[in-house]
Amino acid sequence: MNNKNSNLDILVIGAGISGIEASLMLSKSDRKVHLVERTSYTGGTAIKFEEVFSNMECSTCMIAPIQQELLQNKNINLLTLAEVEDVKGSFGNFTVKIHKKARYVDMVNCIGCNACFEPCPISLENEFEEGLSKRKAIYVPCAGALPNVPMIDTKNCLRFNGKECKSCQEACMFEAIDFNQKDEQIELKVGAIIVATGFSTFDIKNTPQYGYGKIDYVYTAFEFERLYASNGPTEGKILLKDGKTPKSAAIIHCVGRDEKGYCSSVCCLYSLKFNHYLTTKIPEIKIFEFYTDLCIPGKSHQKFYEKMRDTGTKLIRTSDIEVIKQGPGIAIKYYDESSKKNSIAVDMVILAPAIVPNEDASKLAKILGITIGDYGFFKEEDQNVSSVVTSKPGVFIVGCSQGPKNIQDSVCQAGAAVGKILSS
Amino acid sequence: MDRKIGVYICECGPNIAEKIDIDEVIESVSSLDDVAVVERYKLLCSEDGKKFLVEQIKKSDITHLVIAACSPREHQQTFMEVCENAGINPYLFQLANIREQCAWISDDKDAATKKAIRLTKAAIGRVRYHTSLEKKQIESNSDVLIIGGGIAGIEASLQLASPVRKIYLVEKTSSLGGMITNFEKTFPDMQPSSKILQQKIENVNKNSNIKVFTDSEVKEILGFFGNFEVKVEKKTEENDIVNFDVGAVVLATGSTLFDPKIIPEYGYRKFDNVITALEFEKMNSSGKILLKDGKTPKSAAIIHCVGRDKKGYCSEICCMYSIKFARYLKEKIPDIEVSNFYSDMSIPGKSHQKFYEQTKENNVYFIRAKDIEITKKLEQLDVNYKDEKDNKNNLVVDMVILSPALEPTSDTSKLAEFTRVSQGKGGFFAEEHEKLRPVSTSTEGVYIAGCAQGPKNISDTIIQAEAVSGKILSSLIPGKKIEPEVKTSYISESFCTGCKTCLSVCSYGAITFDEDKKVSVVNEVICRGCGNCVAACPSGAASIKHFKFRQIYQEILEAVK
Repeated sequence: MNNKNSNLDILVIGAGISGIEASLMLSKSDRKVHLVERTSYTGGTAIKFEEVFSNMECSTCMIAPIQQELLQNKNINLLTLAEVEDVKGSFGNFTVKIHKKARYVDMVNCIGCNACFEPCPISLENEFEEGLSKRKAIYVPCAGALPNVPMIDTKNCLRFNGKECKSCQEACMFEAIDFNQKDEQIELKVGAIIVATGFSTFDIKNTPQYGYGKIDYVYTAFEFERLYASNGPTEGKILLKDGKTPKSAAIIHCVGRDEKGYCSSVCCLYSLKFNHYLTTKIPEIKIFEFYTDLCIPGKSHQKFYEKMRDTGTKLIRTSDIEVIKQGPGIAIKYYDESSKKNSIAVDMVILAPAIVPNEDASKLAKILGITIGDYGFFKEEDQNVSSVVTSKPGVFIVGCSQGPKNIQDSVCQAGAAVGKILSS
Repeated sequence: MDRKIGVYICECGPNIAEKIDIDEVIESVSSLDDVAVVERYKLLCSEDGKKFLVEQIKKSDITHLVIAACSPREHQQTFMEVCENAGINPYLFQLANIREQCAWISDDKDAATKKAIRLTKAAIGRVRYHTSLEKKQIESNSDVLIIGGGIAGIEASLQLASPVRKIYLVEKTSSLGGMITNFEKTFPDMQPSSKILQQKIENVNKNSNIKVFTDSEVKEILGFFGNFEVKVEKKTEENDIVNFDVGAVVLATGSTLFDPKIIPEYGYRKFDNVITALEFEKMNSSGKILLKDGKTPKSAAIIHCVGRDKKGYCSEICCMYSIKFARYLKEKIPDIEVSNFYSDMSIPGKSHQKFYEQTKENNVYFIRAKDIEITKKLEQLDVNYKDEKDNKNNLVVDMVILSPALEPTSDTSKLAEFTRVSQGKGGFFAEEHEKLRPVSTSTEGVYIAGCAQGPKNISDTIIQAEAVSGKILSSLIPGKKIEPEVKTSYISESFCTGCKTCLSVCSYGAITFDEDKKVSVVNEVICRGCGNCVAACPSGAASIKHFKFRQIYQEILEAVK
């Protein structure tokens, strides 16, 4: 990429932790970065967590400084609500077409005071909070979202559905709300592309034995993360849907592992983290962890596990579980290690689902001209050459879009892609 | 020159104006010493607001600026830039947060106003004692020292070497390649490991920008990011010493195996045909898997997790290479009976489960076991264990392969000392931050890659080497000067009693002891301004720029008065 005609600018797709890390590193070497993010906010999945394993550091406190650095960085052009629609060209000279949806709120004028939310008459389930709380048709996903500028959900906003409402505009003192904003088609010229689009989780409805959706008080890992989050729907109080505090809980690992055919590498650890969440807020709670094989690789994790184990949590190895309703509570039926049938009663169940590729991974792969591997993640050319290099020169894959991994490994891959770009 | 403090209060539209009586704030601070101007403005962070501030500062010859507005997180940077544009030093500025800390947290206008007055007075009290701070720039060398000629060191060398960046690759053995040279194949694709290595080693050797030192050891590393001085000893007959300068150091010293002799129950070195993973790799690479007496084994046991409990961590790769061993055995001796004894199958990631399942289908047994003890039974070995149901059981085999934990190499502590990098969990080099800075260390300009940082597979090792390259390529640019931290600490020569407390608390190795004067001295290029030394100093000799005792004291005094 060293020839004179190469474009030195870089496109990064996805403003999660990998995308932010890659963008900041590139900007330090005076590269211009276009960071395209599909949602209205930065930080990706990791900002949904209250704490991260294994040192239980506050996740938003860890990420907010780099989000802030990103927003203030003059070498980074952040495009939110934007998606890549077309890519032409080759390493050194890509032409990228981006569709950027209108936010209907001016990024410069808005100061993030949130005065526009209250008067909005529409109330909807907040997707960021896994539907555990409500939002308006003009909203930010959670307190502390960055950029701290709301967006209008045009699917549900009265004004965009033929009504005359302009309550949010009237409440705004900064003339930040602009109903006339239009979607934009942006064309960019870049030399290389880093794909950091993250992951999705296994749809638990495919495993009805866990009772999700049928039994109240059966939660997914993400729902539970938001229940514990201090900026979440309960402001960090672990409460069941009826407002009661659970006295016992079961955490079930490996949900969907058999269906997917791989170990998602982070679930054991975050399940142990959940154990910590529960005992921190409800010291007397009884916890059962159902697992198959405990996968806690690396130098930092065993001690974390031992600490959790010593809190009195019951670890049960089983691969055959059924969650059923029993009176007002829940019964978990399972076979223990001696193949004996067994059952326990709990107030709450948390399911740890497998990490799966994003729904539109294959569509994006097609646009980028890269390959999809066996399980639907972007495919590296050869993992023993470099797991960030794809079959298409100049397009690099990092983080969970390449395969399930923890934050540390995602950040390493982001750095590796930058290394590849800056050395070529 | 007299101080002329300009105080500007932002209305933030209705956000502050409606919740705080701004006129009362103005009235309470107008008559304070040195306060030359107090004004309110509708939105100071807007383009008009910034222009207004620059004009005000110039017009009234303001020397120090106080802004009462939002959180520093939001606009500290904005207003520091305003200072620069108006020609005053950006550190002669203080922001009072009267929005998040007053207006937005109370409906009691009176109380919010009172607090806003206190915070604004505190900022005025503080800014009075601010001094100008200047950014420093230092020249830097962009060459790199890489210690360890395994796959991590090779990968980093190839990626970093260029006509403007010379690489010094130091390897303690006589050849490049490291641990992988022992492996015939790598998991999960069972490709020959030579496929990974050979071409790369050739590329290193023919790259004129990489200087390779084999049979060599690093003897000394002095200096700091951008300016390290290195001494390397080449173990020839004359023991040549070579000196050179670099800007960054990469620790890629790999790992070694836990010694199974430490756990006598495994019978290693007590019984023939109990061998370690590395011995088995070598035997397999030689082409023949044989027992000590030259016969072909008819059965083998592979024991996972050897030393895991002792070390206190899972070594991440043993399950996978143990499964690979089963493949080696089946490939070379198709009718051999192979049993893997494991505790928890740790095969994370998208490419590993399939490898395990395919191996299982090939009549390899996997037995979950604990309390393993190897004894001798005639010419054979007896693996005694407790199964999942806690029942005692045993299996007689011809050969036992032990898969020991990975541990840091013997030179880790010496290099940690040279580079002032600490040894973290398991004795491996500690990264600067577990999540966000996994290949950086607390010593700026010293990076870690591969198993030196912690147990990992080849793919992740290569990624870390490339990540280190990314770090270096983006921070150590030929011809570009380095800008160290501005708010560094300072130790007063006259107050320092020479107790050396500060040396023990400095995480960055920024403090040295001047033996002649018997005082501690801060290297301002290395100091990151964490303040540890200031907090620990019993004689008040250490202070940190922009957080001096006087500045903080005045701020508190005004806040509580």
